[in-house]
Amino acid sequence: MILTTALLRLDPPATSAASPRWRRWLEGVTLWLAVLLMLFVHPLYAEADTRVSSDAGELRLYDDQGRHQDSALVLDSHVQVQVRGLIAEVRLHRRFRNVSGAWREGVFVFPLPKQATVHGLDMTVGERVIRGEVQPRAQARQAYQQARDSGRQAAAVEQQRPNLFTARVANIPPGGEVDLELRFQQRVRYTQGTFELRLPTTLTPRYMPGRPTGNEAPWQWQGGWARGTTAVPDAGAISPPTVAPSELPPGSHRVDIEVSLAAGVPLASVVSPSHPLDIRMDGTQALLRPAEGPVLMDRDFVLRWQPVPGRQPTAAVFHERFDGEDYLMAMVVPGNLEVPPLPRELMFVIDTSGSMAGESIRQARKALARGLDTLGRQDRFNIIQFNDRPSALFEHPVAADRDHLDRARRYLDRLQAEGGTEMAPALSRALSADSASGADRVRQVVFITDGAVGNEAALFQQIRQQLGDRRLFTVGIGSAPNLHFMREAARWGRGTYTAVAGPSDLEAPLQRLFAAMAAPVLTHLVADWPTPAAEAYPGRPGDLFQGEPLVQVVRGVPPRGRLHLSGSGPGGEPWQVAVDLSQAVPGVGLHRLWARARIDSLLDQARIEGVAPDQAAIVQLAMVHRLASPYTSFVAVDRTPVRAPQQPLLRTAVPTLVPAGSSAGMLRYPQTATVAPLLIALGTLGLMFAVALVLLQRRVGA
Amino acid sequence: MRRLGLLLLTGSATLLVFGFWIPLKALLAQELLALAWAKSQAGQEVQRPWPWADTWPVARLAFPDLGQSLIVLEGGHGESLAFGPGRVPTGAAGPWIIAGHRDTHFRHLGELVPGSEVRLQGRDGQWRRFQVASTQVVDSRRAWIDPSRLPEHSLLLITCYPFDSFDSGGPLRYVVTAKPWPASGDPGDGPDDRVARL
Repeated sequence: MILTTALLRLDPPATSAASPRWRRWLEGVTLWLAVLLMLFVHPLYAEADTRVSSDAGELRLYDDQGRHQDSALVLDSHVQVQVRGLIAEVRLHRRFRNVSGAWREGVFVFPLPKQATVHGLDMTVGERVIRGEVQPRAQARQAYQQARDSGRQAAAVEQQRPNLFTARVANIPPGGEVDLELRFQQRVRYTQGTFELRLPTTLTPRYMPGRPTGNEAPWQWQGGWARGTTAVPDAGAISPPTVAPSELPPGSHRVDIEVSLAAGVPLASVVSPSHPLDIRMDGTQALLRPAEGPVLMDRDFVLRWQPVPGRQPTAAVFHERFDGEDYLMAMVVPGNLEVPPLPRELMFVIDTSGSMAGESIRQARKALARGLDTLGRQDRFNIIQFNDRPSALFEHPVAADRDHLDRARRYLDRLQAEGGTEMAPALSRALSADSASGADRVRQVVFITDGAVGNEAALFQQIRQQLGDRRLFTVGIGSAPNLHFMREAARWGRGTYTAVAGPSDLEAPLQRLFAAMAAPVLTHLVADWPTPAAEAYPGRPGDLFQGEPLVQVVRGVPPRGRLHLSGSGPGGEPWQVAVDLSQAVPGVGLHRLWARARIDSLLDQARIEGVAPDQAAIVQLAMVHRLASPYTSFVAVDRTPVRAPQQPLLRTAVPTLVPAGSSAGMLRYPQTATVAPLLIALGTLGLMFAVALVLLQRRVGA
Repeated sequence: MRRLGLLLLTGSATLLVFGFWIPLKALLAQELLALAWAKSQAGQEVQRPWPWADTWPVARLAFPDLGQSLIVLEGGHGESLAFGPGRVPTGAAGPWIIAGHRDTHFRHLGELVPGSEVRLQGRDGQWRRFQVASTQVVDSRRAWIDPSRLPEHSLLLITCYPFDSFDSGGPLRYVVTAKPWPASGDPGDGPDDRVARL
């Protein structure tokens, strides 16, 4: 630049009399601008080698010190769902593509539906399929590690939470790929005449309360993985690194979903509030997939279907024989019951922690506003918001008059999402607030949250202890709420769980929830099977709300005779119904449902009694029925080594996408740069060009 | 041709005005904030620097080694960072997590070295002394802050990295960790056990 100005000077213009001084001045300005620009441009060079460089189709990650690790793994997913009646059988393919030049071990944490029962794992390497086996957890891990260290290809899938799994794939060759097929089944939800299937694809970053375990430095990360804390000992296993979609190579983290639906009832409509669908429907059958093809794994896939009006099922019975035993599943939907409404006391609890920031908090506010609308004149209410600590709108529950409701609405508008998710004190506050006037009222708690917590077990315990005669209803907000927490909290709280998928899906589910809350329930339900030795689950059916079905799975009952159900209605009047079991149609996978229910009940029992679960019984049950459980994992191991021992194996944690709509996990770093340097540099550069242009023009003109 | 030159000239001038407005605003705001801070301290209550501000001063931060003193605002959002470093709310009294823009207030953060002194004045007027324990660069996509795992009496200063970058949305952050100044003896002697490393 200095050279340019020097050249300009070398050729002094001698024509115009007034212009030389003017031009000289301009040249001086240009020189200064040039120097200024140099100052600003200099950092551009300095920066060049620290920039993120990512070639298409290749994922580059930084390690703890901010250095990059070289290339990583790319992940493709393919989901095939087959729905038969009330059970969905899912085949989940995950393909790990190694685009780097080194041998890789891939680790991926992924969510599955809460009631998903994993019953198969296949690993495909090239043409060969290696069938996975179920083994006790420690044994499976050992088998996997031995295979990995000896250079053989291996895969393992471990259950971390009922809805959270870790997949490990060892010895993926450079440029090669390994395909995992995971098979699981899950029950379809049926409420208010609508069937619903939900497939999670990502998970909300979880808040880990408590102090870190071990005596390392008080605050540590392992490649972006949160470490164990006292309240959540396995934090390291359940918190993967999260990234935004823009930081991934194109084509990675997409899932191809295909659903074949055999509803068993004439279909009126099939819709998905989460994704636009491409549907072919024929009577009781339908074939469908997302219209856009492979969808980004940043939100749950939700599918709902409704039978033709008047053809909604009121009861269903399925039968299966497995290993010489009979298994039955029965579903009964009680009819409508009429009662006058009772005065209520409603406690709204809203999560305003950092994980709710963005779209989530807006939806939560809307959901709560909907709840306020349902309050009647004789009702009382209060609102509690919580992040690190709870705070209530009113000291005590107040009458739902216009003045109080107005104040509540203004309070809602001001709610901001920041901080941690300390749920325990908020629950305590909601469940312990007893007012003298509440005695003759129906007391209900509505809990609006994304459930991004890791210490679920302690919270369930707390709910059980403090509940009293209340009912706890959970409303799941955000595109990837922690379903396990929501469902279980509602179950322990004798309430229901409602999921809100997005702004467009807000009204209908909430309307159903608040209608059900205002409507009566069936209590003291008893299921009487014809065979005395029947082992039925759930052992003690929970209370039923309007439009909810009662579902039981049982072993050891042949499809003969009648199932008698009885209970008491809202006014205490007896209610009963009999189901003819000989009408049972064949079902698939009932034995797994039963085994899973039994495992869950063993775990629950241990939790209630505060003792360690009967591990041997669970392992045995899981081995017989070939299921993954907290104590059994799937492992697939190849026979022949493919990697020579001297070649190094690098470990890569495959990141999970940040759920859509949540602007940031609560522990994210803030944005700390402005566009000022860029603007100044561009402005200076432009100004220089402009002045140069003017100068040039004069020179040419002269 | 002339018109093109004129267009370029006005365009660039506008860019420059906007470009200089950001640091100028940051500079001016600190003056206004110093006033609000003095009032806050006198009245012992939250004082908004200007009526429509959605943030307020919570502390004064001083780097004696750099000869710099800044008013810290509440909140780590863009609204408060435009005017001063912002305290990222953790809901508890400690640790203090303060974020600032690398092009304005925290421009010189990189000059702090382990052992440097950092002072923090709370609303009660008390100055607390901290000692820089470590500096590190983290990738905000892969690492995050968990306040519950930091020692309660620690101070974290965060800004974007690299310091001279033009990219305002980059993923790297520069984190300065400071711990309370050792109670007695030489500042260098303090045990290093509670220092966190990434």
